[in-house]
Amino acid sequence: MDMLLLAELSINGVFVGLMYALVAAGIVLIYKTSGIANLAQGALAMMGGYAAWAFTAMVGLPIWLAIPIALAVMFLAGVALERFALRRMVGQPIIMVIMLTLGLEIMLRGVLPGLFGSAVKRLDVGIPNTPLFLGDLFLNRATLIGGSVSFVLILLAIAFFNSRLGIIMRAVSDDQSASWSVGIRVERAIAIAWGLSAMMATTAGVLWGATQGVDWSLSLLLIKALAIAILGGLDSLPGVLIAGIIVGLAESLATGILDPIVGGGTRDVVASVIIVLTLLLRPHGLFGREHIERV
Amino acid sequence: MERRTFLTGTAAAALVSQMPITIARAQDKVIKFAMPQDFTKVYTFVTAEYSQGQRDYISLINARGGINGYTIEADVSDHGNDLPRAIEAYERAKTEGAVLIDPLSTPVARALVPRVLEDEINMVTAFSGRSDAADGTAFPYVMPLSPNYWTQAGLLIDYFRQKDGDLNGKKICFVHIDTPFGKEPLPILEKLAEQQGFELVTFPYTPPGNDQSAIWPQVRRARPDWVMFWGAGVGQTTALTEAVRNGMDMSRMSSSVWISESDMEVAGAQDVTGVLKVEPCASGRDPKPIQDILAEVVEPGNGAGPEEKVGTSYYNYGVMITAIIIEGVRKAIEKAPDGPVTGPWLNDGLHSIRDFDADGMIPPVTITPEDHQGGGMARIAHWDGEKFVADTDFFTANQDVVWEEIRKYSEEFKKTGE
Repeated sequence: MDMLLLAELSINGVFVGLMYALVAAGIVLIYKTSGIANLAQGALAMMGGYAAWAFTAMVGLPIWLAIPIALAVMFLAGVALERFALRRMVGQPIIMVIMLTLGLEIMLRGVLPGLFGSAVKRLDVGIPNTPLFLGDLFLNRATLIGGSVSFVLILLAIAFFNSRLGIIMRAVSDDQSASWSVGIRVERAIAIAWGLSAMMATTAGVLWGATQGVDWSLSLLLIKALAIAILGGLDSLPGVLIAGIIVGLAESLATGILDPIVGGGTRDVVASVIIVLTLLLRPHGLFGREHIERV
Repeated sequence: MERRTFLTGTAAAALVSQMPITIARAQDKVIKFAMPQDFTKVYTFVTAEYSQGQRDYISLINARGGINGYTIEADVSDHGNDLPRAIEAYERAKTEGAVLIDPLSTPVARALVPRVLEDEINMVTAFSGRSDAADGTAFPYVMPLSPNYWTQAGLLIDYFRQKDGDLNGKKICFVHIDTPFGKEPLPILEKLAEQQGFELVTFPYTPPGNDQSAIWPQVRRARPDWVMFWGAGVGQTTALTEAVRNGMDMSRMSSSVWISESDMEVAGAQDVTGVLKVEPCASGRDPKPIQDILAEVVEPGNGAGPEEKVGTSYYNYGVMITAIIIEGVRKAIEKAPDGPVTGPWLNDGLHSIRDFDADGMIPPVTITPEDHQGGGMARIAHWDGEKFVADTDFFTANQDVVWEEIRKYSEEFKKTGE
């Protein structure tokens, strides 16, 4: 195989993987705080993409203003989601809470295209489409920028979990009753986690929206994000970074190497194979904490 | 009042109250079409505009007094590309006396084929459904009324040949969604590659095609003379965007009927200047039927959707197909003015359409009991940065290869029912 093509696919795969990882980081953020796997994260990314598009195309705001407003609105939406939907589920079996997030995913996937129209929307964040070549090596400018932004944001999220508020959230994650007993406002911490997670989803929605356009298919980011979160460890943000790179690389190389042999279609298989193998061989992922229950 | 008298009186009143309704219904001259389509799932990229075009054209006809006193009633609903819902909508339409159904969905159309053949209800499968339905001898009640995917691929290859003189030794890349729809043109392309000596390189991508970043570097490195990209919705916009990012020559990029003005806007209208598409009818607002709709339906405030969508590609596809159907109704009335209005009655009318061109908006369409494609004519247009501009007149090409394939599959259907 052409080594240059291999290099192009690898570099591209790494940055695409980092963009997926940003969605996964939102899942991890919520899991770390409340122990819930949020299956609505893909739909939140789609909602964030629609929000940014609506503020620029419908309200007429410049994109540099539309994005922060969309982030703020989505933070509030995340907090509201926790306050009015998730909090009502306190005391219910965890599977019911996960089903609720799945219901939200399905609902948003139907409602938003119905509200804004189902055609793909253009979201121009100012990244030029002109090709970028380093010698003979082609680099995809959109994924390069998107991946870099995602990388920085995930690093910030890791730093955040070492801040005071982050430590509070980790405490809530470890033991909610103990957190209550020392005066931590557990509900507030969880609500903030949902808000931050929605902001991360929005950033991912904007970056992916700028790459592919905004439509319902942004919600499909959930599958890749789940694969990354499971591989990296559902409670590990650094794990998300590494797993994102692995998944992105594997997908990109599979498309270049396996597709011509088997006739295509391997890209999505990669994510599902990773989910299945991780759960079978290392259920807590590469960097997740292994929970040991004493009985 | 005695209980018995009361009940008798009530029953009589109920009976009498129904009589005028029955009489009125008998006097109503209504032809019912069922248009359960996918407004919410897979075909969302086209359905709203297509349906708007259909409803506006029907409003135009009805506003002019209908056809020979008959008005058209279109029952529009959402089947969400879901087979049980679509079948339920079909059965309801059958009960209500619909003589035609237009589901605008390949899986739904495929599922309904046995039913429409048995019930003798005309099913329109324009730009969708099975390509072998062009053979009316095998599928008498399935009406593509438009160039199928095999014809569209054949037209593009012929256009490339016209431009390059000869395709011998050329390389054509076919980038397609990895679904039965995306793979559909492959047999024709393989046969034409063998006949004309070009190299065919295929690049399937996983549906819906929202990430093709690993595909297009490979396409660029293949150094193709021509590229065909074959998908729909987000798959098309992503293909265009990635092609631009990879520095592909846009004037050598081409696609089927499934690319529209809004796709070009998403990918960057100026960036994709030159991209080619198969145009089954004229786009824009110049065609006379579109002008008539604007004047007689939209301006009085009776339009079925946003005014800015009038004249877009998919809107015009809806107008095109409805104009052909209405022509079929006209022919049916000519042949049997007193009906009865049934599926076979309309089928006879559709089979009698000869060189109908909707005031120049579409190529001359002739539907016969053998050819339900209507002649397989379309034209090639390119994007000039603002709109699609025709590069050719309406023409047809490679129909020998296409019909060989159609007959191969339709014969199989006749034998096995599959």
